[in-house]
Amino acid sequence: MKRLIGIALAALVVAATPALALTELTFYYPIAVGGPLTKVVDNLVAGFEKEHPDVRVHAIYAGNYDDARIKALAALRAGQPAQMSVLFSIDLYELLEQDAIVAFDDIGADKTWLQSFYPALMANGTYKGKVYGIPFQRSTIVMYWNKDAFKEAGLDPEKAPATWDEMAKMAAKLVKKDAGGNLARWGVMVPSTGYAYWMFQAFARENGQDLMNRDGNQTNFANPEVISALQYWRDLGAKYKVMPEGTVEWGTLRQNFTEGKTAIMWHTTGNLTAVKESAKFPFGVAMLPASKQRGSPTGGGNWYIFKKSTPAERKAALAFIQWITSPERTAEWSIATGYVATRADAYETPKLKEYVTGFPQAAVARDQLKFATPELSTFQTGRVRKALDDAIQAALTGGKAPAEALKAAQQEAERLLKPYR
Amino acid sequence: MRHVYGWLLLTPAAILLVAFTHYPAVATLAESFFSTGTAVRPSRFVGLGNYAALLGDPIFTQVLLNNFWFALGTIPTSIALAMLMAAWVNGALPGRALVRLAYFTPTVLPMIAVANLWLYFYTPQIGLLDKVTALFGAGSHNWLGNPDTVMGCLVAMTIWKEAGFFMIFYLAALQALPPELGEAARIEGASRWYFFRRVTFPLLMPTTLFVLVNATINSFKLVDHLFILTKGGPDNASNLLLYYIYQTAFSFFDTSYAATLTVVLLALLGAFALVQFQLIERRVHYR
Amino acid sequence: MSEIVLEQVTKRYGRVTAVEGVSFRAERGSFVVLLGPSGCGKSTLLRLIAGLEEVSAGKIHIEGREVTALDPTERRLSMVFQSYALFPHLSVAENIVFGLKVRGLPAPERRERLARVAELVGLTERLEHKPQQLSGGQRQRVALARAIVSENPICLMDEPLSNLDAQLRHEMRVEIRALQRRLGMTVVYVTHDQVEAMSMADHVILLRAGRIEQQGTPAELYARPATTFAARFIGTPAMNLVRRATIEPDARDGFTLGIRPEDIRLLANGDGGLKARVTSAEYHGADTIVTARVGEESLVVRAPGEVKLAPGAEVRLGWERSATHLFDDLGRRK
Repeated sequence: MKRLIGIALAALVVAATPALALTELTFYYPIAVGGPLTKVVDNLVAGFEKEHPDVRVHAIYAGNYDDARIKALAALRAGQPAQMSVLFSIDLYELLEQDAIVAFDDIGADKTWLQSFYPALMANGTYKGKVYGIPFQRSTIVMYWNKDAFKEAGLDPEKAPATWDEMAKMAAKLVKKDAGGNLARWGVMVPSTGYAYWMFQAFARENGQDLMNRDGNQTNFANPEVISALQYWRDLGAKYKVMPEGTVEWGTLRQNFTEGKTAIMWHTTGNLTAVKESAKFPFGVAMLPASKQRGSPTGGGNWYIFKKSTPAERKAALAFIQWITSPERTAEWSIATGYVATRADAYETPKLKEYVTGFPQAAVARDQLKFATPELSTFQTGRVRKALDDAIQAALTGGKAPAEALKAAQQEAERLLKPYR
Repeated sequence: MRHVYGWLLLTPAAILLVAFTHYPAVATLAESFFSTGTAVRPSRFVGLGNYAALLGDPIFTQVLLNNFWFALGTIPTSIALAMLMAAWVNGALPGRALVRLAYFTPTVLPMIAVANLWLYFYTPQIGLLDKVTALFGAGSHNWLGNPDTVMGCLVAMTIWKEAGFFMIFYLAALQALPPELGEAARIEGASRWYFFRRVTFPLLMPTTLFVLVNATINSFKLVDHLFILTKGGPDNASNLLLYYIYQTAFSFFDTSYAATLTVVLLALLGAFALVQFQLIERRVHYR
Repeated sequence: MSEIVLEQVTKRYGRVTAVEGVSFRAERGSFVVLLGPSGCGKSTLLRLIAGLEEVSAGKIHIEGREVTALDPTERRLSMVFQSYALFPHLSVAENIVFGLKVRGLPAPERRERLARVAELVGLTERLEHKPQQLSGGQRQRVALARAIVSENPICLMDEPLSNLDAQLRHEMRVEIRALQRRLGMTVVYVTHDQVEAMSMADHVILLRAGRIEQQGTPAELYARPATTFAARFIGTPAMNLVRRATIEPDARDGFTLGIRPEDIRLLANGDGGLKARVTSAEYHGADTIVTARVGEESLVVRAPGEVKLAPGAEVRLGWERSATHLFDDLGRRK
């Protein structure tokens, strides 16, 4: 028995010793796009440790955004150390409700640093004037167009549609039928599975209306502008016949585009590299067209710092996040991934400047940021999002009229959000 | 003393069962009587409140109905197909091992891989299905994007996936049947169909029962493909009970409501198993 | 007229020849036994007659029709399998009338025939039972009943008694033979048991390695075995086969001499005969089986009653000259 206690004590001592010498940090991060990104993250971490020998950082790859959230929260609940994580930007309200995160303002982050990021990217991480999420892997929706198809249809291959009207008219010319009268190419495709709400945010924003308020407890699904935005989306298939009726699959849309089955597609910037590598025709990338204004939601992951951490750990975590979001690191990260660089000064670094000159498509997402709106995120976000997704799909498949579908979704959202006002 | 040994021998299995099967089941049942707690709003007892919410939840009604059609679409066809394939590969035919392997292949593929495969069958225009129908002059179909066809697509894929698995059981059962029975029937003048109907089919009843229970459970258990193919859409047209539970638990974080749905799922499966064993056992011949 | 005629029937499986050039006739109402050790092709031959296997060459006629290419169904015969092949999920009654149902016989006639056959084989009390509730002998009767209820003139039986114990086997032998006579069936019966063959058959066909070794009545086979193989296979204990030189020292050929144990007598001392030394004496009740050595060889003697002889005792053996069988160096009868 004595021996056993001895061993246990020895183990404790061994386990405790490094903690005295240096600060250990653990974070979870998701990967939602292609490429060997774990290696990129590991290299970044190694670079930080070189400059900060008193901090050791453990980076744990945790799957997609859902997995990462589940794993991080489960780890916290089980008492395993995790002082920070990259999680979905729209997990903010869920994390607040779990009382899991701290505001960067409250742990000594200085205001000028917080203001160095694009404001559009800060919106999803801010609650009641305090910053909880620092933008890291962020994207927007852009429009890809097939220049060969434009040429073939007698359109200017260098000019993308700038308004909804233009897009509908140009798309009508881009629709191609084969000898048998069957459809060989669609004019435009907007994906409506998986992230229907995200695409729809773009339509609504372009039509002059955001879908929720900044406190995440009020939605505007039944607003007339929102309804007419959904009507336009539905009309692309039902009235103008330039898009397939029913829903369009998110996962296979890129292939549809690169195989020339649609002349225009709306998709995340995160697909830029993949399209660049597989398209056998010249293609352009443009901002989404405007109805009343330009617009696109942002998306992607933010840095959060967890409440369950010591002051020393918080300090080290803050230092790490500040380091990894510095202009140089941000530029490196953007080039490696295709994500938007999260701050203007990153685009001034020689590295990124050079990259954008050679591949101007990479700058479209940045330029669109000034029209961007935060991704849909509210309390009870999963349910609210699903209500909207269902309404969009019901309208697109002709199951319900847009007004009817959106009114039902708004009613559901009201029910869910009332307790949070 | 002997009892002590008996209990000792049972202990490891009992601990595992209690820890990983019985306790979670009971905990789930208990949780279904509480509201979901967060740091801000602690969990409280709501009695049958979650169950009442269930009745007013149109998505719940729809996923149940969907599950019913999914089960009805997959089970009889995959069982009949499995029996047919087993009878086919049980006979002497050239390349029998290859045919068996071919039938069995879908079973060894993970559901996620199968779903990815079929996603490219169903994709409009560039999908295999559209390319084949295009040869006959048909236009493009949005198979998964249309609420009228999406369930049929899932059913077809599931049958493709499952029939081979069930075939293995039928094949084993057929091989255990003494060949003299067939010979005796031939001498008595029975046609192949008569022999199948009057002898083989009844003798396969234990296998059929086993397969039926499995197929029913699978029709509630198999939702992996939804993650890839439809995410339950469009507008819940392909949503199934278990996937809805997943959404409720991990995307809505409403663990109590998820627990309530889980209790319903458990009760349903338990009832199925009971009915199947009780009703069919009477007609089953066990040797 | 012959009921079943086989002409040069041959069956090959790939390179293996299971049955080769077999011809025989089974007369109407006769009981023909296919006898031979395991692997001799007797079961294959039966399955060829039944139509469960296709012949590779040769012809089969049944009731004057050539049936070589016909299905089992069209050959109008019944069969009893070694394993009985009862349908385990059907009751005794359903098993028996299975074939009648297949042929669409009206229910009243089915019932009537069932009752008659059940009475005949003594199963009237068991009709509602399932096969697994029956003893081996009862299952055997169900199989028999199923074979005879169809009233086919021909019944094939494949070692039907091999799964029964000795006592039951004897009873069933008698019963089957009686049934066959009563119903006037032509039976082809496969067995490896020469006792069954001797006691039941009108005509025995002895097979060896796919060919007919000898055929005839049981008495013919016993009295005049055509080969040493036939000599050894029929009769218990088997015929003594010794080199002729052992007994007739003058003989210079390589011939074999056969004497059945029951034809050898133990002679009183001084009566001459062949000197031999006893190695064992087994008392069986009605007789005693004495084994004795003569030179290099050993002879078995079946002596009536109890004979007390200690191992090592010297005896003298004698037999009628007419009781000896002579086989040439190829084993053929001389």
